[in-house]
Amino acid sequence: MANYFNTLPLREQLAQLAKCRFMDSSEFADGVEALKGKKIVVIGCGAQGLNQGLNLRDSGLDVSYTLRAEAIAEKRQSWKNATENGFVVGTYEELIPTADVVLNLTPDKQHTPVVKAVMPLMKQGACLSYSHGFNIVEEGMQIREDLTVIMVAPKCPGSEVRAEYVRGFGVPTLIAVHEDNDPKGEGLALAKAYAVGTGGHKAGVLMSSFIAEVKSDLMGEQTILCGMLQTGSILCFDKMVEEGIDAGYASRLIQYGWETITEALKYGGVTNMLDRLSNPAKIKAFDLSEELKVIMRPLYNKHQDDIISGHFSQTMMEDWANDDKNLLGWRAETAETNFEKTPAGDVEISEQEFFDNGILMVAMVKAGVELAFETMTAAGIVAESAYYESLHETPLIANTIARKKLYEMNATISDTAEYGCYLYNHACLPLLGDFMKDIKTDVIGKGLSTEDNGVDNARLIEVNAALRSHPVEAIGAVLRGHMADMKKIV
Amino acid sequence: MDTIRLDTIQLKKVTVNFDDRFKLSEINWTIEANQHWVITGTNGSGKSALAAVLAGVGEIEGGELSGLPSKVGLVSFEAQAELIAKELKKDDADIMDVISLGTPVHEMIFDDCQDPKLAQELVEKFGLTSLLDRAFRKLSTGETRKVMLIRALSSKPNLLILDEPFDGLDAGTLTMLQEHLISIADTVPMIMVLNRFDEMPEFITHVAYLDKDSSDKKQGDKGRLTLTIDKNDEQAFGELYQLLHLKTTDLHVPDADPANKLPELDSSQPLVKLKQATIKYGDTTIVDKLDWTIEPGQHWQLSGPNGSGKTCVLSLITGDHPQCYTNDIFVFGFQRGNGESIWQIKQFIGYVSTALQWEYRVSTSCRNVIISGFFDSIGMYTKSTDNQKKIADQWLELLGMKDRADQPFNKLSYGDQRLLLIARAMVKHPPLLILDEPCLGLDDMNRQLVLALIEKICEGKETTVLYVNHHAEDQIKGIENYLGLKKN
Repeated sequence: MANYFNTLPLREQLAQLAKCRFMDSSEFADGVEALKGKKIVVIGCGAQGLNQGLNLRDSGLDVSYTLRAEAIAEKRQSWKNATENGFVVGTYEELIPTADVVLNLTPDKQHTPVVKAVMPLMKQGACLSYSHGFNIVEEGMQIREDLTVIMVAPKCPGSEVRAEYVRGFGVPTLIAVHEDNDPKGEGLALAKAYAVGTGGHKAGVLMSSFIAEVKSDLMGEQTILCGMLQTGSILCFDKMVEEGIDAGYASRLIQYGWETITEALKYGGVTNMLDRLSNPAKIKAFDLSEELKVIMRPLYNKHQDDIISGHFSQTMMEDWANDDKNLLGWRAETAETNFEKTPAGDVEISEQEFFDNGILMVAMVKAGVELAFETMTAAGIVAESAYYESLHETPLIANTIARKKLYEMNATISDTAEYGCYLYNHACLPLLGDFMKDIKTDVIGKGLSTEDNGVDNARLIEVNAALRSHPVEAIGAVLRGHMADMKKIV
Repeated sequence: MDTIRLDTIQLKKVTVNFDDRFKLSEINWTIEANQHWVITGTNGSGKSALAAVLAGVGEIEGGELSGLPSKVGLVSFEAQAELIAKELKKDDADIMDVISLGTPVHEMIFDDCQDPKLAQELVEKFGLTSLLDRAFRKLSTGETRKVMLIRALSSKPNLLILDEPFDGLDAGTLTMLQEHLISIADTVPMIMVLNRFDEMPEFITHVAYLDKDSSDKKQGDKGRLTLTIDKNDEQAFGELYQLLHLKTTDLHVPDADPANKLPELDSSQPLVKLKQATIKYGDTTIVDKLDWTIEPGQHWQLSGPNGSGKTCVLSLITGDHPQCYTNDIFVFGFQRGNGESIWQIKQFIGYVSTALQWEYRVSTSCRNVIISGFFDSIGMYTKSTDNQKKIADQWLELLGMKDRADQPFNKLSYGDQRLLLIARAMVKHPPLLILDEPCLGLDDMNRQLVLALIEKICEGKETTVLYVNHHAEDQIKGIENYLGLKKN
């Protein structure tokens, strides 16, 4: 199989990368009609599989689950998930031939064997749906010509997909049609109906392409989302301990700090995150982030270039073939870092203190979000995609660190994201070596020691203007506005 | 058993701030070592808050507080909600696509347990033995409450604070718990928050009465401790009883919204018909072959002990239970599992339950909570009409909460939240109104208000009422059909 993206002419590559449009709610007037009476078979019953299936069924659709024969025979958790919820469960051979729509909700890494196993069993003219396009775009999987291929990807964890639906709402969702596999021209109608069935249309749907989804998703997860948080955690912790700050305190400040500061990001973008700081601290964070952006920009460019050229996926797939030697080695290394091994101390840190004593962390998040966004848009990915794959998802990942540190984050994300995260971390740690030498506890651990909060007017105006005029803030305001229109509760 | 000595707890002009949303103002209170107190008062007057202060909650702004014991056992809805929220948060851990199973009951009870022998004994008495391996968050409301009680009772506390300990317990368990409390009354002082006077145990020696002071609009509501009564003082006690029982005649239920038209139901068909309904988890059967038909206008009361599956049966009707697709269920003209959506079912139902209250964890205004009943949603995602707002305001007036229309729902006390959710269930005058223990957490006055409202609704023609409760004395005029569930 060859990298699909690389087979396309430049003109087409650019056109596909630039696809991403926020859809109007009037485009969903047909509801679930396109899927009514069709037989939907879900492959895999993890959190996404189960919760999407529950929503689709509650929307009046016919849903059943297919699992590998071993999973059924051994009554594995996936089998229990499906049967306890009253779904019909069967083997590929039993259910796939009856399916009008097959939803592949297995982990990315299994896509090739899963798709190879189910494709020959699929009905003539049926539809195959993905929630991530790696298999099509990077692995170059060729799908039978008579099959329609679509993607529907809720941009939240499975439990939230369900919880929001039950409340009468939904989560933002990305949809796409693989144009090479849309023989009957019904791909868009099916994807829209699927998004309605999971409640996504109430929270906002982005119409994108397989290519834009993959190239932006990979970039976001490797750099700002996981890589930056991992590198930042390690550097900030070691610095604080080196400067004599209690290790328990340092561990807590970082473990829960990412979650707290990115909560501010979620509500009001980078601007709001920095507005939570005092004026002198804000200017300090701004200056640090400018410095970080200069140092890290070549690294962000390299990641994006390797993703676009296919070099990244190629080396990763080589590691898959090599029994995940690199992945497993790096995972073990992460477990041995001092941050990971030091439990959070039993000290209370107020919400504001996470900002005041974590100026460097704020600067790192700002630098990472802006760099990822700038790099993606420079590569031809449109602002909407770049926003979702950088700023929007950062709080979700930060949340996993709050639970059980880097271990939880890396266990939670896909193997693909984890591999990319380690790649980034290995390059970024030495890159920031000199920068960290000048860092003291005023920006990480203790907060600024200034007695008065006075700042120079002109400088403050400059910094505020720069924050507010960044393109990620412009698109963020629009997209969060759409969300707020629909979701009054935020 | 060791007798635990308690110092005198003394509050002198203590003012406590709860996240700037509520204050207890200048509380003077002395609790001697040999006393057992009941705290009572109106909804929103800070009964739970005062109890929680003794467990170290809240920010003391002024006054002196001395003699607080080091080890306090606390059971309350707030603590229960917090524990459940913590468990639910674990469940969000699934970007990795794994479904978390949550902490099992035995871990909740026996990890960090001070008195495993007593805990074991209570597990058996409470009938939780068969549930030890189940995930805590899969328990019913009454069952989680029991776990909370066992944790507190077996923690060897030197002060036991029980905030509405009897709410949500079935008759058998209630008697058992009351007996257990009597047996330990000599060894540990107790502070109870009770909304119902008839539940006050014999050993209680004193009553504290709190009142809500809403006079200062800027500062928000304040709770004041206005009366402390020795239970032997019969006259004072009688007056307090009067205070808590006000008249509820001349009630008017606000009208429905004429713009909110429902599809016409065929009046010759039953509203609900369950045939041989069965709910199973693995090998455990919760509901076994239940037949039940609800005809329009036929009001029902459903009862049964904790864990007998009451809530499960209701969720088969509302469509919230996933096994509604594997049962033979006919509701509002739909044979379930034939392409109808859950929203087509829910439009006919008004619903209130403790589970709903756990789930209603969104920050929205009190007015919006009532209006969300028109949309069957938790939170508001659609613009409301002026008429819907007007109707919601009439409900707020009826509940005595007019001045709180724009306040955030999640900052209210448990009882006040409950009142709003009852209004939310009733607001659209649904063909079927399901009230699953609606009076939990309500003080005597509001309980009577709600019961009177239900009676009014039963008198009308539009709504069929399905009422679930444990308290035999909460009989409602107009309900003539009874279904009792047994524990399997």
